[in-house]
Amino acid sequence: MPISRRALAAAAAIAVVLPLSACGSGGDDSGSTDASGKIQGSITFQTWNLRANFKPYFDGLVKDFEKKYPGTHVKWIDQPGEGYADKISADAAGGTLPDVVNVSPDLVAPLAKAGLALDLDKAAPKYKKEYLPGAWASHQIPGMDGTYAFPWYLNTGPLFYNKGLFRKAGLDASKPPKTYDALFDDALQLAKKSKGKVATLANVPTIEDFGRYGAPLMNKEGTGFAFNDAKGVELLTKYKELYEAKALDPQALTATPESTGKKFLTGAVAMNPGSALDLSKFKKEAPSLYKNIGITDQITSTGKVNMYVMGVMVNSRSKQKPAAVAFAHYVTDAQHQMEFAKKVAIFPSTAGSLDDPYFTKQDGSDETRVRIAAADSLKSAVNYTPVLFSEQMKTELRNSVAKALQGKESPKTALDNAVKACDRLLQQQG
Amino acid sequence: MTSPLPTVKSAAETSANTEVTRPAKTSGERPASRVRRHLPTSPWLFAAPGLLVVAVFILYPFVSTVVNSFTDRRTLIPGEFVGLANFRELLHDDMFWTGLRNSVLYMVGVVPALVLLPLLLALLVQKNIPGITFFRSAFYTPVVASIVVVGLIWVWMLDERGLVNSLLEAVGIGRVGFLSDQWLLLLSAMAVTVWKGLGYYMIIYLAALANVPRELHEAASVDGAGAVRRFFTVTVPAVRSTMVLVAALSSVAAFKVFSEVYLMAGPNGGPAGEDTTLVMLVQRTGTGLTGRVGYASAISVVVFVVTVALMLLVLRADRKEDA
Repeated sequence: MPISRRALAAAAAIAVVLPLSACGSGGDDSGSTDASGKIQGSITFQTWNLRANFKPYFDGLVKDFEKKYPGTHVKWIDQPGEGYADKISADAAGGTLPDVVNVSPDLVAPLAKAGLALDLDKAAPKYKKEYLPGAWASHQIPGMDGTYAFPWYLNTGPLFYNKGLFRKAGLDASKPPKTYDALFDDALQLAKKSKGKVATLANVPTIEDFGRYGAPLMNKEGTGFAFNDAKGVELLTKYKELYEAKALDPQALTATPESTGKKFLTGAVAMNPGSALDLSKFKKEAPSLYKNIGITDQITSTGKVNMYVMGVMVNSRSKQKPAAVAFAHYVTDAQHQMEFAKKVAIFPSTAGSLDDPYFTKQDGSDETRVRIAAADSLKSAVNYTPVLFSEQMKTELRNSVAKALQGKESPKTALDNAVKACDRLLQQQG
Repeated sequence: MTSPLPTVKSAAETSANTEVTRPAKTSGERPASRVRRHLPTSPWLFAAPGLLVVAVFILYPFVSTVVNSFTDRRTLIPGEFVGLANFRELLHDDMFWTGLRNSVLYMVGVVPALVLLPLLLALLVQKNIPGITFFRSAFYTPVVASIVVVGLIWVWMLDERGLVNSLLEAVGIGRVGFLSDQWLLLLSAMAVTVWKGLGYYMIIYLAALANVPRELHEAASVDGAGAVRRFFTVTVPAVRSTMVLVAALSSVAAFKVFSEVYLMAGPNGGPAGEDTTLVMLVQRTGTGLTGRVGYASAISVVVFVVTVALMLLVLRADRKEDA
């Protein structure tokens, strides 16, 4: 049947040619940076795992914005924490990225490189002075000009510890370790006293640990990684000692944040990083742990804790750029960041906000004491996560650390290999 | 007697504009010209929805993957043609060889168990005795259970402080690192695959066993063959084709394993990624905002080639046996 053959041939040709059309440089098809014009139209705003706890706040925020700018409509969507990067990745690749997106600096970097993040230095430079200089700079990408997201809230993240387990090991539960050296001493004692049944930590060291221990993460030019220096090797050697003494959980090599959280809940692990939201979870799921919960700052040997920065990015291909920029600014302006900070233990990135009495004046409560201490530590905090440190690089570091802990490679060789692999990936990123 | 239906010549003749035998015209019949016009294409029209689905969801992604494997495409950046560079890089990538080793080991460990154990299980539940339906259903239950739920349950059981380790400790053996040792992790994942697959292949074997003539067993019994002898001389030859089918299906599934290992060894693929399988490597390399789609496609092409080769090998072995 000639017709059928032709149809088949056409189908085959389309199948071959269509994918080929995806090849090529692609050109610079990023949207314009012009965000001037009337603020109107429908936009979509995506947050990162915030609906469950803050729905009324965001509903009110959206309503107030729509009231302030008649003719606008904001559709708020929220994505779960797990797999958030994959969701953004799928949306970005499929051309369905929302107009305004909640991002972290490491997520915004590939989006900016692909021309999907609006350069705010060009599109909205007037807002720059409203934010802390360090916070504004946190969404700048090495090797690129511009700033690609409004800074939103800052956090240092509390470190929870189980006072009961500390006491059982003969440690002073009111004085949790603050530095890595103190942590290693306490962890070894805890493992010894519990005969290896209670580990202090459930996670292998991450890039932030190397930073807080004092290892340089990248070279001065920002063109290569450098955490394989003497300090980095020293940290990994110490972790190996912990692993061998079972002071580091035996399943740490395959741990996920969820699995470590569960181990902390069951008392198998004595310390675990978390967020303010975890307290209500402890109260509900592990009342005996809740009675013994201790909260302290991140472990650091540099005197500076790691600062997590959240941002709000505007899609450069948004059809309603003026409305998207206005909304992203509205969410992150001083007034709304302050309102949000009073609902949850986060800190505003807007200039002067941290001087508010809410972050400086004691009222005698533990909550305020912790808040003021955290706000104070933020003044010297550093974002230790390199903006260009991709998921693949995290995997390379994690695998190398695991090899060192298992004794398959020396800490020095393992870190040398990790740096080599990360540098190769950095080169490939372009 | 004249047929009420139009007599149609071969399709080739029709397409060559040859005449269609005209039936006797009766009231209410469609004109012959319309019949002639529609006949050659109508099979394709019926098949079109299915073909469209195949083209969009199988053919296009497949061709796209092959094309991408020759580019340096990334998730958000269209790639350039790089020839065989991705395949050359594979040869020097330790993680690729780790993935290939684990996928092959998985197949070697799982396939014999999934060919033999479901057959024995089918023989057990084949007999129609009171209450046997309960056991058939019980053995089949893992098949319909969600792999994520199954994986999590096994993780809880095999955890350092889980049920299995508590039992081992109680009997004085001590805790075993099922989820922290590279090889035990792989074995644990294999056990889950076998446990979950038993019921599915058992059903296939039950259908095959129902077709084995009872007379063969009776004749063998009369000749003095015991149960074991009858199994090897009657049952196995009678269900040999089904065993080949099960071997083919389970080997392809085992080579492409993802969920069990991902759930038990974690997204990183176990300690130092040593339990990574090829499909996990595809997922890890090709997804995310900085995913290397081109390189991941090259790994996918290798998985495809190996899978096809496996199928051909099994079918060839079956044909040889038949000859």
